[in-house]
Amino acid sequence: MYNLNWFSQIGLQHYLLLSSALFICGMAGVLLRKNAIVILMSIELMLNAVNISFVAFSHYQSKLEGQIMVFFVMTIAAAEAAVGLAIMVSIFKRFREVNIRFFERLKG
Amino acid sequence: MNHPLLIAVLILAPLIGFLINGLRYQKNSANLSGILATSAAVLSFFVSVILVSEIFSLPQESRKIVVQFFEWIHVDSFRVNFGFLLDPLNSIMILIITGVGSLIHLFSIGYMSHDHGAAKYFAYLNLFLFNMLILVLADNLLVMFVGWEGVGLCSYLLIGFWFKDSQKAAAGMKAFVTNRVGDAAFLLGIFILFLTFGTVQFSDLVAMAPSVAEVSWWGPITLGTLFLFVGATGKSAQIPLYVWLPDAMAGPTPVSALIHAATMVTAGVYMIIRLNPLFLAAPNTMAVIAVIGVLTAVVAACIGLLQNDIKKILAYSTVSQLGYMFLACGVGAFGAALFHLMTHAFFKALMFLGSGSVIHAMHEEQDVRKMGGLKKYLPITHATFFIGWLAIIGMPPFAGFFSKDEILGMSFQSPYGNAAFWALGVFGAILTAFYMTRLMALTFWGKARFSDKLHPHESPWTMTLPLCVLAFLSAVGGWIGIPHVIGELLPGHPENFLEKFLEHSILPILDLPKAMPTMEYLLMGTSVLLAALSAYFAYTMYLLKPEWPKKLADKFRPLHELVSNKFYVDEIYESSLIQPLIQLSKNIWLYVDVNLIDKTTYVVSDLTKGCGGFVRILQNGNAQTYATYISIGIVLILSILLMR
Amino acid sequence: MISDAILFWILAFLSLSAGLTVVMIANPIYSALALVMTMVSVAGLFVTLGAYFLAGVQLIVYAGAVMVLFVMVLMLFDLKNEVYAFTQGLLTNVVKLGCLGLLAGLLAGTLVLSSYQSQEIQDKVVAAADQTKALGQLLFTQYLFGFEVLGILLLIVAIGAVALSRSRGGTHHV
Repeated sequence: MYNLNWFSQIGLQHYLLLSSALFICGMAGVLLRKNAIVILMSIELMLNAVNISFVAFSHYQSKLEGQIMVFFVMTIAAAEAAVGLAIMVSIFKRFREVNIRFFERLKG
Repeated sequence: MNHPLLIAVLILAPLIGFLINGLRYQKNSANLSGILATSAAVLSFFVSVILVSEIFSLPQESRKIVVQFFEWIHVDSFRVNFGFLLDPLNSIMILIITGVGSLIHLFSIGYMSHDHGAAKYFAYLNLFLFNMLILVLADNLLVMFVGWEGVGLCSYLLIGFWFKDSQKAAAGMKAFVTNRVGDAAFLLGIFILFLTFGTVQFSDLVAMAPSVAEVSWWGPITLGTLFLFVGATGKSAQIPLYVWLPDAMAGPTPVSALIHAATMVTAGVYMIIRLNPLFLAAPNTMAVIAVIGVLTAVVAACIGLLQNDIKKILAYSTVSQLGYMFLACGVGAFGAALFHLMTHAFFKALMFLGSGSVIHAMHEEQDVRKMGGLKKYLPITHATFFIGWLAIIGMPPFAGFFSKDEILGMSFQSPYGNAAFWALGVFGAILTAFYMTRLMALTFWGKARFSDKLHPHESPWTMTLPLCVLAFLSAVGGWIGIPHVIGELLPGHPENFLEKFLEHSILPILDLPKAMPTMEYLLMGTSVLLAALSAYFAYTMYLLKPEWPKKLADKFRPLHELVSNKFYVDEIYESSLIQPLIQLSKNIWLYVDVNLIDKTTYVVSDLTKGCGGFVRILQNGNAQTYATYISIGIVLILSILLMR
Repeated sequence: MISDAILFWILAFLSLSAGLTVVMIANPIYSALALVMTMVSVAGLFVTLGAYFLAGVQLIVYAGAVMVLFVMVLMLFDLKNEVYAFTQGLLTNVVKLGCLGLLAGLLAGTLVLSSYQSQEIQDKVVAAADQTKALGQLLFTQYLFGFEVLGILLLIVAIGAVALSRSRGGTHHV
């Protein structure tokens, strides 16, 4: 495993590792950032990471369903971004800032 | 004629009167509300007259009007209709209720004219009429129970009508609580009868009543009827539950006349008469009823001897007369009981209204020792009261004579009765004559003992008219039940109309010995003579020789004390029942409620609060914190999956 | 084969570094630009996996539409460079980082130790046009229902977003 072969022979494992790394990246953004818009972007990052693994599986198992799933995920991501940004606009109108802390005010 | 409509009008007219006066009790003046309520009662009276004439027009065997309004309860096989039944038995009752009720409404207009709550008063009075009509017209025990509770409620409301006086409010409470004891027993009786017969319908119960008497004390019929009788002692003020009635005199006097003399208190008697075949099937119950009845008659009359409040005297007299009715029921003379119920309604309502007139004239003075000589000032009241007096002490040919005599005669002749009942009954009659004469002597005759500043005046016509009508009825009301022995002597040989009328509603007493005329004359003569002697004695004692009562009281000091303190019954109840109950409740409150239940709930609530306080830290509203929880969860689940 | 590997590594490096930039950099505009970079390199990765149509969609939808939306909103807000990009609170941050580290370790461990080690690729290299055609057929036959539902969802979202941004925002008055 620790030979050059691992670098030259690209397989499913590589794509999945990359996908995980990107996912953790996005997750770190969601958990640690203060700016709500950046948090939304991090969520997009996570969704992209998942998309990579979907396409990789689809490719290496010769099944198109994975790509269909990616299609769906993209749509959901676009929808989520639209709604999220609309909420941001509302929040910004009131507080002149989009710190995630302000969302605490939404609790019942 | 449309019977359902007539019965609906009969029952609903007072209810509508109640609703109008009850909703507008702050706006209606005393006169307006009085006229409204009285016209509702009079309407009911007219309708009941029409209905009774309908009953008369039917052939003798089928004198019965049954009306089912709607199905009230339907659980599996158990069905109760909201149904009403009219037969000769309760046609007399509705005539008394609406007739005497109308007169008392009329009287109340004058009596309550200066009261601010008159509209409320008339509303209650109409509500009472409504409930009483339901009670007597019901064709099953449950509907009767509705009326039974309803009249209890009205009685409570009216006794405590001047609730700002805490003593009067307490009297209302006492009446209500005492009635509750009886009502609980009444319910138990209904349950037992339902368990035994599977129905609460009067017609079915009566039809199913066995012809063979139940000998055992613990048989279902004996037990059921005994419980019903305990219910009746509560409502009709018999030993041991009579204590509420004298206190009930705290209410306005017309109320005492209507509810606590003429109608409501007779509900127990009516209920027993209504179920007479059942009671006849339980001779043990009959014996208990007769004994309780005669004891009540004598004991209440004894207490009445030394009371000084004019209304209290009449109240004990009522208890005593109710005792006679129960005695009649107990010896199987249900017709006599109903007869006495009717005549008693006339003369006792008359006397209560008369006392109301006196109290009105004396500006709310009720102590007979501070009256006297009122004959001069209140001629009409005196004349009518005089007739009532003659009726109650049983002087022929006034109403009370016929009914009381029939009861006494039956208690001697009936197979259920014996000489002891008769002797005690006559003793009660003697006492009655004595205290009634005392009341007359102290109130109307002799010298005036009130201050000169008081100028008693005769009451307005709305108050004297009912007195006159009732006096007339007290005089002639007994003539519908003239016994055969006297009827034969009279021209035209009038027969016993009442007995014939009730023939198909009341079972006759089996093996009643054929009455011998000489025997009847002897019994009659003895009781009348003794009563007259007693009345004369009382007249002498309180009018001609006013120093006698004092001397006698000194001579029999302990006896006098005992009687004038009403045999200490209230005190005994207080110390033996009420105080222990209060102590028990207090202890239960302290140890069970405060120390056990409350503390347990406190501990539980503290625990919940603590847990909640801890968990609340987690729920801080920060979206990122929640995301952290999700990731912790993912980590945990993944590691569990991988560890396997 | 080696060219594929080189391409993968370049794209992997690009996407990871851009992703890290999104998370680490304080200015949201730079974050957005880095995200565009990530999107583009993910599109490249899709190409290496033979999903040409998806790569195109990725570029148009993500890099085109969604990112433009983000940038426009950011411009609208006119946010200054933030002094504190990350949330405060030492303890919670330690917990969060610990969580992330554990998750990363678990994922990596699983993947490395799993049976996908050496993959003999059954690459039945489908022609790009054929694959797109097959995708379209699958989408409009077997997954038609989901597809339509997505369409409705988008409609709802469009209306909802308009309604939300027009509202005064929140029920609490500050």
